[in-house]
Amino acid sequence: MAHEVAHHGEHEVSIWPLPVGVGVLLIPLAITAFFAWKAPLAALLAGGVGLALIIVGATGWAYEFFTKGHDEGHGWIAIFFFIISEIIIFGTMFVAFWMARVNHAEVWVNSWIPEGLSLSIPAFLTLVLWASSFTIWRAEVALEQGSRSKATTYILITMALGILFTVMHVSEWVHLWHQGFTLMSNMYGTGFYALTGIHTSHVIVGLILQAYALMFILSGKMNEKKMTMFSATVAYWHFVDIMWLLVASTAYVVGGLHI
Amino acid sequence: MREAIHIEKPWFSASLKEWIFTTDHKKIGIMYGITSLVFFIVGGIMALGMRVELFNPGTQHVSPDTYNYFLTVHGALMLLWWAIGIWGAFANFLIPLMIGARDVAFPRLNALGYWTFFAASVIALITLIPGNQIMHMWTGYPPYSANPNSGLTALFVFIWHLTGAASIMGAINFLTTVVRMRAPGIGFFNMNLFLHGVSSMNLIQLLGIPSIAGAVTMLFLDTYVGTNFFNPAKGGDPILYQNLFWFYSHPAVYVMVLPAFGVISEIVSTFARKPIFGYKSMVVAIWAIALVGFMVWTHHMFVSGIPDWVKILMSYTTVLIGVPTGIKIFNWVGTLYRGAVVYKTPMLYALGAILMFLIGGLTGIPLGLPAFDIAVHDSYFVVGHFHYVLGMAVTLAAFGGFFYWWPKVTGRMYSEALGKLSFWTIIVGSNVLYFPQLIVGLSGMPRRYYDYPVIGEWITLHQIQTVGAFVLAFGILLGIIALIKGTLSGEKAPANPWMSNSLEWRLPSPPPPHNFDEPPKVEKDYCPHGYCKF
Ligand code: HEM
Ligand SMILES: [Cu+2]
Repeated sequence: MAHEVAHHGEHEVSIWPLPVGVGVLLIPLAITAFFAWKAPLAALLAGGVGLALIIVGATGWAYEFFTKGHDEGHGWIAIFFFIISEIIIFGTMFVAFWMARVNHAEVWVNSWIPEGLSLSIPAFLTLVLWASSFTIWRAEVALEQGSRSKATTYILITMALGILFTVMHVSEWVHLWHQGFTLMSNMYGTGFYALTGIHTSHVIVGLILQAYALMFILSGKMNEKKMTMFSATVAYWHFVDIMWLLVASTAYVVGGLHI
Repeated sequence: MREAIHIEKPWFSASLKEWIFTTDHKKIGIMYGITSLVFFIVGGIMALGMRVELFNPGTQHVSPDTYNYFLTVHGALMLLWWAIGIWGAFANFLIPLMIGARDVAFPRLNALGYWTFFAASVIALITLIPGNQIMHMWTGYPPYSANPNSGLTALFVFIWHLTGAASIMGAINFLTTVVRMRAPGIGFFNMNLFLHGVSSMNLIQLLGIPSIAGAVTMLFLDTYVGTNFFNPAKGGDPILYQNLFWFYSHPAVYVMVLPAFGVISEIVSTFARKPIFGYKSMVVAIWAIALVGFMVWTHHMFVSGIPDWVKILMSYTTVLIGVPTGIKIFNWVGTLYRGAVVYKTPMLYALGAILMFLIGGLTGIPLGLPAFDIAVHDSYFVVGHFHYVLGMAVTLAAFGGFFYWWPKVTGRMYSEALGKLSFWTIIVGSNVLYFPQLIVGLSGMPRRYYDYPVIGEWITLHQIQTVGAFVLAFGILLGIIALIKGTLSGEKAPANPWMSNSLEWRLPSPPPPHNFDEPPKVEKDYCPHGYCKF
């Protein structure tokens, strides 16, 4: 019975979900404050506090998991379900893009395609992301074999590639935007930035997940025995990379060709 | 084995700190239940406000803007907090008990899911503050919703995002739990129909919510950033919103009703003292409804100018969905046939739910035929239809579930007399309220108006509705009183008051903190429904 008392206290409470939940409330409020209430200062405050709560909460959460929790290996199935729902979110943007492309083909081709659009940048970005898919796979193999230092190196390379991708992509946006091709110009602009923007936001989430994983691998808490969380991160990263092929071919090729 | 389980601390004796930071599925289930019920009452009060306004033609007590606000929030609360949210409560409390697990697969994620739902609740409450109302109905169609006169669209968008995020967390968690954590001996074809109900619900949430999330994100960008998703002048398309909206929101009606079917099945087989008739066909029917549910959404858009072939196609699929639905009703009747039926309160609620669902479904089928629907679309007939399925079938099933599992949850029996009285008051009030909606709709009354012309027949029909609404509200109040009174002063509940065979009744009432200290062993031919065998 004494055993049960101890057990009880350990398993049925955790202080971390609540701060994350408060952060989840503050972020939408910050966005509402900025766009609808026109109170940028309040937006900054709510957004800052919200973000801090989410970061602190998520770190404490992961720490608790690695010190007290059991890795029951359910993580991969959860990430599988999550990726399915992500695919459908992307799907909505694809539908919007393709419908406009088909229904307004004539004006689209004649007047919406910006001059500065080149296929070489997305081609290079594809190489970058796919190389990172390879390196993260190597990191997973290394961690499985218990070689933490090798895994660390591969994760760092992956993150560097991910950051390179993001930086190049953002400078590409800035370039096009200055040419007058914006979110507001027409459905091509809207669809282009929405698709690539949502994709890049996923790249950033992937990078944050990798940073978390790196932290716990370096501290030795994540290892070959407790690596479901890392496998989930890897699966997510592969998903983001495969999705890039569809995003790029839609945003640049389907959107940008003069046919 | 039952005696060996030692109750240390039932859930209600926990401290405040244990409640706020809990990751226990039973406490989280109760928190979902209370939140849902509170918002059900808030939404109900708004409905009473609208019924008072409609008592006579002309403006009485409620201004047009306030009316639009009430109607918008009433719709959102009743659908997202009540008809969907309440199943979050049942799913949390019951899934681990029914599969013999100690908790869900991701207890902390489960807690975060609740707090996300809570965050959505805070946003819903913010819309009460003057200047922050939303007035473009729960559907939020552009272009009106992108217009500043329609209220604060941002809050509408975040209500969807947050309730949606909570549901996706729940869906991932519950699906993983049911797939991976069943006790040995409990398989796909001998688990509770309630589990099939919530699992199909969760699969729909997982596949459908991203669609509405995308739609309202586009709405946000169009409204505040100036993108062109729904702007035809720059190549956008407002019908796109309707397609994405209904691609989720039609399946969402099965999110509301499939768990209700599950609850009805549990109750009917227990109180008919028979295993469910045609169990396998029930399972197949549930999953068939979930699947075909994704192929019918344009029956909400018959007047939006979509091509004829789409109308015809989705009219067929809509009627097709009546088949598995009919199978379920047939099987419930088959279960009752020659059963030793006991008419306790939960059974009355379940039988009421079946009958009212029959009316709701039979009004839905003509709505699926464009020839009929084009005449009554956006009329009170549609309002009557979905109140029969939601206001009655789902609500009665939820209350039936409350009474059925109350002894398990609280360890106390409710008062049978008060429970039965609440049922009869609710069923009378609801029918007096909802049946005239069908008639006034057929005679041309459009939905979503705060006023109507001075037509004698319409005035009478509206006044009958308002009376019915107050009877219904009184019935709901009686039901809640019956439950609370049971908790405070009811008799102590035995472990298995209904002599059910299902796993959750093999635990003491209320269940101990760990549910099962050892993974339970079920008999070889375990069947959760029917007369107690153990
Ligand atoms: C066989 C069963 C059903 C059929 C054939 C059916 C058919 C329909 C059709 C065709 C409409 C559109 C009417 C119009 O707007 O002109 C409709 C509306 C609606 N139905 Fe059903 N329905 C069925 C069951 C259900 C169930 C089970 C629910 C909920 C649990 C439900 C909830 C709704 C709601 C909420 C609306 C109105 C949505 C809105 O415009 O705000 N229906 N139904
Ligand atoms: Cu529908």
